[in-house]
Amino acid sequence: MAENKELESREGSEEIRVGVYVCHCGLNIAGSVDCEEVAKFAATLPHVVLAKDNRYTCSDQGQELIKNDIKEHKLNRVVVASCSPRLHEPTFRKTCEDAGLNKYLFEMANIREQCSWVHLYDQEGATEKAKDLVKMAVAKAALLQPAEEIEVPITRKALIIGGGVAGIQAALDLADTGYRVYLVEKQPSIGGMMARIDKTFPTMDCSICILAPKMSDVGHHPNIELLANSEVVDVKGYIGNFHVKVLKKPRYVTKDCSACDECTKVCPVIAPNEFDAGLAIRHAIYTPFAQAVPSTYIIDMNICLNKEGIIVCDKCIKACERQSINFEMKPETVELDVGTIIVAIGADVFDPSTLPNYGYGKYPNVITSLEFERLINAGGPSGGHLIRPSDMQIPKRVAFIQCVGSRSEKNGKLYCSNVCCMNTIKDSLLIKEHWPETEIYVFYVDIRAYGKGFEDLYKRARKEGVKFVRGLPAEIIHDKKAHNLWLIGENTLQKELYKMNFDMAILSVGLEPRKDSEIIQRLLTLSRTQDGFFMEAHPKLKPVDAATAGIFFAGCAEAPKDIKDSVTQASAAAARAGILMAKGKVTVEAITPISYVENCTACGLCTKVCSYNAITLNKELKRIEIIEAACGGCGTCAAECPFGALTQNHFTDEQILAQIDAVTEHGAENKIVAFCCNWCAYAGADFAGVSRMQYPPNVRIIRTMCSGRVAPKFIERAFARGVAAVLVAGCHPGDCHYINANYHTQKRVERFWKKMEQQGLNKERLQLLWASAAEGERFASKIHEMKVMVEKVAPEEVENAKKVFEKALGGS
Amino acid sequence: MPVRLWRTPLDTKKVKLPKAEIHIIKDQCKGCNFCIQYCPTKVLEESEEINAMGVHPPRIIDESKCVVCSFCTAVCPDFAIYVVEKQCKEGC
Repeated sequence: MAENKELESREGSEEIRVGVYVCHCGLNIAGSVDCEEVAKFAATLPHVVLAKDNRYTCSDQGQELIKNDIKEHKLNRVVVASCSPRLHEPTFRKTCEDAGLNKYLFEMANIREQCSWVHLYDQEGATEKAKDLVKMAVAKAALLQPAEEIEVPITRKALIIGGGVAGIQAALDLADTGYRVYLVEKQPSIGGMMARIDKTFPTMDCSICILAPKMSDVGHHPNIELLANSEVVDVKGYIGNFHVKVLKKPRYVTKDCSACDECTKVCPVIAPNEFDAGLAIRHAIYTPFAQAVPSTYIIDMNICLNKEGIIVCDKCIKACERQSINFEMKPETVELDVGTIIVAIGADVFDPSTLPNYGYGKYPNVITSLEFERLINAGGPSGGHLIRPSDMQIPKRVAFIQCVGSRSEKNGKLYCSNVCCMNTIKDSLLIKEHWPETEIYVFYVDIRAYGKGFEDLYKRARKEGVKFVRGLPAEIIHDKKAHNLWLIGENTLQKELYKMNFDMAILSVGLEPRKDSEIIQRLLTLSRTQDGFFMEAHPKLKPVDAATAGIFFAGCAEAPKDIKDSVTQASAAAARAGILMAKGKVTVEAITPISYVENCTACGLCTKVCSYNAITLNKELKRIEIIEAACGGCGTCAAECPFGALTQNHFTDEQILAQIDAVTEHGAENKIVAFCCNWCAYAGADFAGVSRMQYPPNVRIIRTMCSGRVAPKFIERAFARGVAAVLVAGCHPGDCHYINANYHTQKRVERFWKKMEQQGLNKERLQLLWASAAEGERFASKIHEMKVMVEKVAPEEVENAKKVFEKALGGS
Repeated sequence: MPVRLWRTPLDTKKVKLPKAEIHIIKDQCKGCNFCIQYCPTKVLEESEEINAMGVHPPRIIDESKCVVCSFCTAVCPDFAIYVVEKQCKEGC
């Protein structure tokens, strides 16, 4: 640290010495970029004292090389041209720190995800682009300033949203570690999907028998506060310091309830029980299932005869010996302060009634796999007898139909739901166990028995006589008299048509994202993949972290998975959250605003655009005050300030203008300058790279934390320097990583379009794109589209724009 | 929960809900309509006949919908309505 300070103090007067490292990344970069040439070019750039290319800069040797060079050549800025800063910026920052260089004096050029991988077949174009990217990084690096990060304390409490097996496991792990846990469950009881399943695969354990003790532990754990029948309605704050509001809906039954069940005997109102998939009834006062936690009963006021203020029916009140029924209970808002949040909201099951060819919802003996679970469960409506709903008889011929709602472009979802193959195999064995004579056919596309012990179970099912037919039925025809079903389709292995008669058909329904994922997504500013499941920070190396710091995923919220994987992920999420809480503090990136008091007129514009209320106006002193710990680091305030009184640390006006100038030095008339927000558009561009989507190489991406950072003067500067087109890209409205900062982006771009029109410029040269981190395709096609547009931009148009925005050239 | 509830639950017939016998003393009714207004299962409606008091007393639409909450009895200011729970003989 002392060394650091010393370095910093010298930096003001010292000459700037930049070291550039161009990484081959094996052939990942070197395959389409001439790295040696890029390094040679880098050596000619101002302030660069050395430029090297090596095979793997991120390797130990690569890092050692940088450390040695910092010491030996007195480097005070380091630029690495390799992969995305979203991947290895922390690695190299650490390297710099180890060598005594402030980590904010490091800059990265993304020549892999955003260059070599997207221009695989254009070595010349890719190399030219890589040179430009390095030039931009060097230009920015020269202006970098050292910065100290502030420390933020972490509240040692966790919130877990969702009380399925994943939420339960995460809650128990954290609570056992010693942290206070709030477990919020929307339903009256925890347990989730696992509580409804009869047996688990591949070991055929009784699902509720292994889950119930865990549920009970949650109910009794001194460190866990269970908020069932409750919903998260508001989340404010940031890592370590979330302020959460939970709406606790009234149960109308107090904790004194002993679950004696006398009330349900007298309740005169009935409805289908959701827990039993509607196969059994429940009363208005009920408990969803025998092992429910909390065991306190609940009154469904949608069907209870009593309405607010009027007690029409008092049968339950009279029946309750412990006088635990209270119709005057009101919803309550509970406010919690937590340091970390685990999202374990689970998944919904696909509704097959949208597929008319299978007749679900019309033919009584077509059931879903979830209904099957309730029927075969001893605690279910039929006491464990698999019966046909039409005549309550035990079926002799049963068909399972796989991939209902999964792996189909037309019917349902594109992805594989992961659990249905093994679930069906398990179900077929359950039938064989109870009624060995039953003839069972499984109609499938592929059987995916990939996990530990799965293949054995599959073989066992075959041995027991379960018949597997490749090819899903095209249609189910219903015999109205006998309620039997004819399955018609093609056996694709034998290349022949089949028409088979069954007593019952079970649709193996897939999993889909929860309907209310969107609410959670908005509350916590998360991202979702195209499938609709939550997106992790990194698919391989940060599989349970959300992109938003301090938030983690467990279970099916992230993707369909079985119980074992859900539990594994839950423990991982608990461990990740535990690490943060054990440390008790976290450093916040030094990307907060810097204010130049002398320029500030106390107009208050910046306070209005700040989504975090991190800037306040001191009217007495006529200046603004910045609360750094509350700042999200989007930089929207800096873009809003018309007086140059605010800029953003590490993304200063000078640095961004220098990047623009570097891009536009040569051949600007063919280039596109793209401002991409770190979380969505930049990540989307990275995703395009990872997926090897090819697009034209004339785009140069400038990374900002948020599209809200893009000040009009940046766009003006780009046009004044003769660029063909500018793209501003950010998160979809409503998905902004900084609450709603991108609305200001939209306003600014719209204003700019108007200005362009007034000046007689083609406003198409400025484009706005909303692209999420998963929408690489969207980003790539936008560049394709802009390339066509750029080719039509006449030289006069470029000249006109240069003149119009001439003023923007002054100063930097 | 995500499941669409479209089936008649399999145990619907097993559940015994109270069966009512509604008694209306028509001529005692002064036509306040409280019973009609407050009946949670909407068993009653105003009849067209005119009683001794010169008002339209209530009439039963569907006795099977009555769950014997007896709120009508409680709100009737004229003691003109009462409900008896039918005692269950075999098969009901």
